[in-house]
Amino acid sequence: MKQVKKIRLASVAAIVSILFVLAGCGSTQNSSKENSDNSQKVSVQHELGKTKVPKNPKKVVVLELSFVDALQGLGMKPVGIADDNKKDMIEKLVGGKINYTSVGTRQQPNLEVISSLQPDLIIADVQRHKAIYKELNKIAPTIELKSRESTYEENIDSFKTIAKAVGKEKKAEQRLNEHEETISKLKNELKEESGQTVLPAVVRDTSFQAHTSSSYDGEFLEKLGLKNAVQDKEAYAEMNLEQLSDINPDILILANNEGKLVTDEWKTNPLWENLKAVKNDKVFVVDRDLWTRFRGVISAEAIGKDTVKLLNNKQQ
Amino acid sequence: MTNLVQKQKMNKYIVLLASVCLLIIGMILHVAVGSSAVSFTEVMKAIFAPDDSKQTTIVQTLRLPRAVLAALIGASLAAAGALMQAITRNSLASPQVFGVNAGASLAIVIAFILFPDLTSQSTVYIAFLGAALGGITVYLFASGGKITHVKLALAGMAVHLFLSSLTQGVIVLNEQATDVLYWLVGSINGKDWTHVKILLPWSFLGLLLAFGSSRSISILVLGENMATGLGEKVKWIRFFAGILVIMLAGASVAVAGPIGFVGLIVPHIARKLVGGDYQRILPFSALLGAILLVYADILSRFIAYPFESPVGIVTALIGAPFFLYLARKGRNIKQ
Amino acid sequence: MKRKHPYQMLSILLLCLIITIVISLGIGAVYISPGEIFQQIIGSSPGSSFILTNYRIPRTLIAIVVGAALAVAGAILQGILKNPLASPDVIGVTKGAGLFAVFILIVCPTASMLLLPLSAFLGAAAIAVILMVFSYSQGAKPHTLALVGVALGAICQAGIQYFMIKFPDDVNTTLLWLTGSLWGRGWSELWMLIPCVVLVPVIIIFASKLDILNLGDEIAVGLGERTTYVRYTLLSMAVILTGLSVAVVGSIGFIGLIAPHIGRRLVGSRSKFLLPVSAAVGALFLLIADSLGRGVMPPVEIPAGIVTAVIGAPYFLYLLRREQKK
Repeated sequence: MKQVKKIRLASVAAIVSILFVLAGCGSTQNSSKENSDNSQKVSVQHELGKTKVPKNPKKVVVLELSFVDALQGLGMKPVGIADDNKKDMIEKLVGGKINYTSVGTRQQPNLEVISSLQPDLIIADVQRHKAIYKELNKIAPTIELKSRESTYEENIDSFKTIAKAVGKEKKAEQRLNEHEETISKLKNELKEESGQTVLPAVVRDTSFQAHTSSSYDGEFLEKLGLKNAVQDKEAYAEMNLEQLSDINPDILILANNEGKLVTDEWKTNPLWENLKAVKNDKVFVVDRDLWTRFRGVISAEAIGKDTVKLLNNKQQ
Repeated sequence: MTNLVQKQKMNKYIVLLASVCLLIIGMILHVAVGSSAVSFTEVMKAIFAPDDSKQTTIVQTLRLPRAVLAALIGASLAAAGALMQAITRNSLASPQVFGVNAGASLAIVIAFILFPDLTSQSTVYIAFLGAALGGITVYLFASGGKITHVKLALAGMAVHLFLSSLTQGVIVLNEQATDVLYWLVGSINGKDWTHVKILLPWSFLGLLLAFGSSRSISILVLGENMATGLGEKVKWIRFFAGILVIMLAGASVAVAGPIGFVGLIVPHIARKLVGGDYQRILPFSALLGAILLVYADILSRFIAYPFESPVGIVTALIGAPFFLYLARKGRNIKQ
Repeated sequence: MKRKHPYQMLSILLLCLIITIVISLGIGAVYISPGEIFQQIIGSSPGSSFILTNYRIPRTLIAIVVGAALAVAGAILQGILKNPLASPDVIGVTKGAGLFAVFILIVCPTASMLLLPLSAFLGAAAIAVILMVFSYSQGAKPHTLALVGVALGAICQAGIQYFMIKFPDDVNTTLLWLTGSLWGRGWSELWMLIPCVVLVPVIIIFASKLDILNLGDEIAVGLGERTTYVRYTLLSMAVILTGLSVAVVGSIGFIGLIAPHIGRRLVGSRSKFLLPVSAAVGALFLLIADSLGRGVMPPVEIPAGIVTAVIGAPYFLYLLRREQKK
């Protein structure tokens, strides 16, 4: 009995000591960054404060799609992207295959993979990744910007901040000027439709989620001269068929989910037939990734071109 | 003595009349209230003298089926609850506590993941399967000796947790969270005549059979010794009642998701109002259940006005404290 | 099978634990061999040390502590309530923690990150207090505690659903937190668990009281135990363990339910042996669950709460068959 007791005590002691040793290793581990001289760094203001970012970072890891768009616009390719394991979605976003490492889902990016890439800069979404800001900073200088719930204007601001962080402010200015030109051109092409009401919405199997004037796509469409049918402070509004027929937009833009759609059921209802958009054949189905997930300077222009194509085709 | 009995009978008739009136008023209100108010006269016109106006269309195609559905589901769930309380001789029994709801919803969620193009008809059968499995699981857990309140509550909660964590896991991994969440809480929003058509045969059949056999059902609550004396027959009655529960609850879950607490609360209120005879409790529970759900659905429209909320939230917010009240009374509840 | 002596059992479990720790430290998006781990402990080889010290080691330690804490809490509750299906999840404590946490997550999303674990702990404590108040009038009888606990849990669940419906934008984040996961938990979270580490040995010592309680209230009183007081003390300890665990990792289920059962099968019901063995089993369970979640399809991580549910489910059904046979 005593023998067994000794073995037991010994193993407990062994475990406890291992744990202490490991704990000791942990607490003496300093952050891997050295204090290089500050002239090589740029101070960037972001949603969670100020971070000193090394000048002209080469290896950037981004944790949201709008940042991929932004870097693309500045002529850079990130070395790591949080892509929800959907490589083809990224291909669609940048318009071709690129070489990068997937760091997992946007919701829970894999910290180990990110650290193994040894990036110079990490760009994260302040809504999703606030909790791991400290952890990310231990790996590399991190800036957190609005992406997921950003409006069009906020997105443009983020673009400018990212440009400052990667040292391409001139290019950003240039790109934004091109952007303004593209927008006015698109607005022009939509002159005939100007003033009509539009309602973009995401359709799933049991819900119809309208995007109001405060949403990303809603705000952008207003820039193109199309008024949003729902003027609201909240970006999204769930609605049923009754409410939709009350609002009765001139143009309906539907971003459909995979699988069953609630609109399939609605189509059998006479209220649907009586919608202005349905009568005038102005109901359009668009790509959900582009319209609601990507966001960014390039994506906005793509949305604009999409809109022009859809609406002008109807004119003929 | 006869005066007292007569008076009691009068009371019961009054209660019955009051309830029917309440139901009719409720349904009219239900049709009238919504994101755009429809006045009383317009409602009457739409039902009795329909024309092509937009209001009529709204009432006929959207509001009316939803009101009918609320009443049907309320009645079915309440009856199912009353049946369960008879089968298990336990006042805490209900399709929800017994994992019937959770089993049905898990089955449906899995089915949708595996077969996204499932027709609504087949959903009902899958719900039946899940409901049966859920109910049996809890029953097995809670039996083994008398089914005490505690055993039932814990067993039900444990199975419910088990099923719902699996469902939650499925949701989290699929990023369809909001939609599935609304459905999991139980909602009648956006349902129309197609859903009524799916539910009606099962509800109707189930309720009819339940009322018809209420005499036999009352045998179940006679108490352990008498029941044993009647042996085989009791086993068959239990089995039959179980099938009815699965039919009523399963179909309701298939159409509107697992709406909770109706089956738990209503039989108790019914018992307080009309006494312990199951021949009265069953139909009366159905009536009360219809009323409860119709009014709960009206209330649910005001939680996030002008947007819809699932009715399950209202029943949960009313029902959970009631559950607490029942729990505290514990053993003191007479069957 | 001849039952091994409890001390032997414990030693075997501890050995398994050590082996699992080593393997677990190696699993992840980047594989680290045991050799490298050993080198790191000695102090050389900086290669993979960043990942090891910043992520793997604290995470492993958290898994062990939380697993043990939840298991012990479950064992206590099953003892107090005299029901094998009792556990912190079933009794509403976890749900209470969840409710408060969800409230903070949704209503004050810009609050400091420390507020979240604090509110979770407060939630668990609040439920416990309400539970005790409601059952005091009946002398804290086991069946009252159980029933009221389940009912309180149902109320909290309704509250959680209400918040999620009213504020649908944050549903995904909330749901993820509620499912329970060790993602992103590091050294700062580990420090929050220190009271657990201190409490577990205290409980094991106090455990003999649990056995006396189970003899029946009359005998216990006869032996000089103040039954209500003892029950409440043990309950509070279980709540602290649960509250801290939920505060750190969210609501991970099944450990409190299953680990004590396994423990009982291994060494019987004497608390002196049951509690330490349950703790070891719980630690092992959560560690394995987290490692699987990390290693199955990197870089995507499956939250540990889902893995425990998936592993727990078949075992739950197996339990069912055994209960039926009795």
